[in-house]
Amino acid sequence: MKKTMTKTALCALAASLTFAALPAQAETLRILTWGGYAPDNVVEMFEQQTGIDVEVTKSNNEGMISKLRATRGGGFDLVQPSQDRIVSAQADFNIYKPIDLSKIDASQMIGSMLDATKKSTTFEGAVYGVPHVWGTSGLVVNRDKAGSVKDYTDLCNADVAGKVSYRLKRPTLIGFAFAMGEDPFAAYGDVAKYTQIMDKVEKKLISCKANVKTYWEGGDALINLVRSGEVNAAMAWDAAGWKLNNENKAITFVSPKSGALGWIDTFAIPRKADNEAAAYQWINFVMQPKIAAMITEAAGNFTASQGADAYVNDTLKAQYQESFPPADVDNIKWYPPVPAGLEEIEGKVLDRVKAAG
Amino acid sequence: MSLRTPKLRLGLLLLLTPMLLWLLLLIILPHVNMAIISLSERVSAGEYAFSLSNYAEFFTESLYWNTFLRTATMSILVTFLTLIIAFPVSYYIAKMLRGRTKGLVFALCLIPFWVSELVRTYGWMILLRETGVVSSSLQWLGLTDGPIEFLYNDAAIIVGLVYTSMLFMVVPLTTTLDSLDDSYIEAGYDLGGNGFTVMREVVIPHAMPGIVSGCIVVFMLTLGNYLTPALLGGKDSLWFTEQIFTQFITRFNWEQGSAFGILLLFLSSFIVWLGLKLSRQSFTRVMS
Amino acid sequence: MTNSSSIITDVNAHPTQDSSAGPDTYDLECRNILKTFDGGFTAVDNVSFQIPKGSFFSILGPSGCGKTTLLRMLAGFEKPTSGDIFIKGQSVTNTPPNKRPVNMVFQHLALFPTMTVAENIAYGLRQRKVAKHEIGDRVKGVLQRVGLPDSGNKNIAQLSGGQKQRIAIARCLVLNPDVLLLDEPLGALDLKLREHMKIELKQLQEEFGTTFVYITHDQSEALVMSDQVAVMNHGAFVQQGTPHDLYYHPKDAFVAGFVGESNRWMGRISSQSANGLEITTDSGLGLHGVSGENQSFNNGDKVEIFVRPEAISLVRGQGDSNNSNQLACHVVNVLFDGAKSQILVKDPQSNGEVTVSMPQTADFENLRKGELLSLSWTTEQTRCYRVEG
Ligand SMILES: Nc1ncnc2c1ncn2[C@@H]1O[C@H](COP(=O)(O)OP(=O)(O)OP(=O)(O)O)[C@@H](O)[C@H]1O
Ligand SMILES: [Mg+2]
Repeated sequence: MKKTMTKTALCALAASLTFAALPAQAETLRILTWGGYAPDNVVEMFEQQTGIDVEVTKSNNEGMISKLRATRGGGFDLVQPSQDRIVSAQADFNIYKPIDLSKIDASQMIGSMLDATKKSTTFEGAVYGVPHVWGTSGLVVNRDKAGSVKDYTDLCNADVAGKVSYRLKRPTLIGFAFAMGEDPFAAYGDVAKYTQIMDKVEKKLISCKANVKTYWEGGDALINLVRSGEVNAAMAWDAAGWKLNNENKAITFVSPKSGALGWIDTFAIPRKADNEAAAYQWINFVMQPKIAAMITEAAGNFTASQGADAYVNDTLKAQYQESFPPADVDNIKWYPPVPAGLEEIEGKVLDRVKAAG
Repeated sequence: MSLRTPKLRLGLLLLLTPMLLWLLLLIILPHVNMAIISLSERVSAGEYAFSLSNYAEFFTESLYWNTFLRTATMSILVTFLTLIIAFPVSYYIAKMLRGRTKGLVFALCLIPFWVSELVRTYGWMILLRETGVVSSSLQWLGLTDGPIEFLYNDAAIIVGLVYTSMLFMVVPLTTTLDSLDDSYIEAGYDLGGNGFTVMREVVIPHAMPGIVSGCIVVFMLTLGNYLTPALLGGKDSLWFTEQIFTQFITRFNWEQGSAFGILLLFLSSFIVWLGLKLSRQSFTRVMS
Repeated sequence: MTNSSSIITDVNAHPTQDSSAGPDTYDLECRNILKTFDGGFTAVDNVSFQIPKGSFFSILGPSGCGKTTLLRMLAGFEKPTSGDIFIKGQSVTNTPPNKRPVNMVFQHLALFPTMTVAENIAYGLRQRKVAKHEIGDRVKGVLQRVGLPDSGNKNIAQLSGGQKQRIAIARCLVLNPDVLLLDEPLGALDLKLREHMKIELKQLQEEFGTTFVYITHDQSEALVMSDQVAVMNHGAFVQQGTPHDLYYHPKDAFVAGFVGESNRWMGRISSQSANGLEITTDSGLGLHGVSGENQSFNNGDKVEIFVRPEAISLVRGQGDSNNSNQLACHVVNVLFDGAKSQILVKDPQSNGEVTVSMPQTADFENLRKGELLSLSWTTEQTRCYRVEG
């Protein structure tokens, strides 16, 4: 009696476990990416063409790394971290697998951008990322009310007091460092020098805190703040500035005097991806110029797709040209790969800024 | 009889299995895991060694224990305010209302909790922001000249947290007050007591288990809240759980985050224990 | 101490209603109290009464007749729709409960479980701002008087039912109220304890000399303890008098049926004479009886007939007696209860059951089921009351 009861219980348990573990019937592609990088219309086209179901999860750099770290590189088939964040994460947590470049249609990508990304995502001889979307961080300014803001440190000016917002994240530290005449990227390899720069930035940010209305967290929150007029100048992404510009011509993205910070978001394959083939299919699909233009439309940023510009609407192109005179394009500071350990230094600086009265 | 016992025991075991599994898988294992992680330190890429430095960090870096202290004091304040506001509400529901109105008003208190905390917090942001409802109404009424920012300060955090906590105070309070037979209150008056003394000597002592359990739940929830302080507090939020979240998610420093998590568990348990001691209540009685 | 005699030996020792006395000789007086609830339901209907100082006054009535409502008005928890309440000649109709010189023992006692026995008793004294040392003395004193001198530090949960009862009373009496109100305080006790507490309550009342207003639906409680009993039905007082009065001279069918046990028949008057009434019951029995208090009948009137079990004489087997009512019956059951044992018999003629008190003689020890018994009782003990319709 006792035995049979135990057996029944075990069978029931086993059965429920089996059900839970059964894979979904249709082939699926699970993408972990930024908002706007896999818009519904593109997903629909891809699903129709390939019959593969696409599941999109939205996140940010830290979220992507954290999620993959927790699953040791499982749970997703394709992720899109920024190129400077791949190598350190790979060294620490071993969450990616190398890209099989033979499966990528390189002819669809802007060559210089592909080469730069390959170089900055190479770890122990293997390439871990190829480029997808690129953009910059700089200043979003209401020119009628905060015309004086030309550089990051101008956010601390008295005439914009209480009408300023930025993120309490590493791009802010880097931007302020450049605006204060330092070159943090050059100091990436020199911990002592980097710490010294960060100390300087910390002091500046603490003294600047009274000027800040709030530290923004998500892109939507920032757009709300600027749109409602509660904030007139902010450090933010170019796409946010252009989006606001569509509604209010006074507001736009301004490339700071010390240079906008350039980032490239990549495609990378998690170490335990289930459906690698579909991931490559997706990469080649979205890099087609027409599709890439659709993504630009949704995300507000340009892609590394060769020839996609031709399909992008004229407004965005005009906004881009207004924000980036040719000299400013050359002045963009592209993020080099972050060496391990720097983020800890930055973290403490950010904590102290947050805690400062 | 001797035949029945083993069967009975097995039955009991099978009954308890889901709960024990749940306890083991969702409560004990993660905490043990967290404790282990918290005792290691990253030496180099992918290499970890045993260390107490994560705990030392909490006590040596004033930033961290200050944040904890701030979080704890504000949580105590929120708990207290919630109690002050919830008690009359609960008393009214439990003792003044009868029949259908009683159920209706009680349900009315629960309605805000049908929506998620995020939505509720955004609701407060819409009300309190500079271009929000409160500020515009004040201007419209001519009470102020310019817009006023009510958000992004400690008061906003407290308002949001008290609102979020109300339910968890009103429910246990209403339940214990409801269990207080009217005859005790009447006896209190009959023997010469007035409203104040009856409240102090009869009603509150009876409601004490409800008050304490409500306070424990509200305190723990407030201490562990992440969204409300982050969204309403803005640049000054500074909440301990936010610190843990930051360590885990944006710093990838699971070791530090785990140490903070364990510390939060112990420190908050200690505060609750202290509260119970001070109010001379026992945990089992309060939770029964 | 206003009263040292015992109700059990001397029923008439207390002053009964005396219209010549001034209002302040009464501890409690009610004039035309009426209570109509929101729904329009009248729970207490025009009740007036006066309670002399130091007496034990019971209000007896069936469940739902308005006893609690009346008592709550006396305590001040309920406001009369109309009428006046006087305590020691002072109107208290508009006085809040905490200012009235009356205290109440609640149906479930309402001893505060969060306080010890001594704290419970001290509660009222503290409200009156009595000095601390005096509180201690008075608490000790009252505990002594209720026979629980060592219980001060106990928790309420540690007390037995009877002890709780005494503490609840002590908690009120320590305040020296003019009137103590008791709402069926024995209802929650088991039978044995209830019997015991009846006597104890009466003794407590006599010892303290406080006026008690006691409500109950148990006629035995009311009869044993009270100096005066008011029988209440449908919100109104039906009859008020000493227990003896109510038992032997009930005013109407309701009181006759409600106070004490009775065998009852329904019937009609068939003839009247100087010797009494001749009645034919609905089941066909012919009985000889007398009319109840203040009743007069015409032939053919519908009546209810009451005969107390203890009024019936018994003879085993076939037997004759001088009593005008005779009935031969078979034993259905013997309900043995010591001195209060009863015999249930069935009258073969009408098939009705009759309850008879068992005579306490050796003759009836070995009574068996089915045995023939001859019942008889007098005309005077057969009381008839008019029934409408
Ligand atoms: N607050 C109220 N509103 C309306 N009706 C009420 C209210 N309180 C009591 N009643 C009604 O008044 C009548 C008398 O109630 P009361 O409690 O006085 O009866 P009681 O004689 O004490 O009965 P019991 O012996 O069962 O305690 C009942 O019919 C009851 O339903
Ligand atoms: Mg009652």
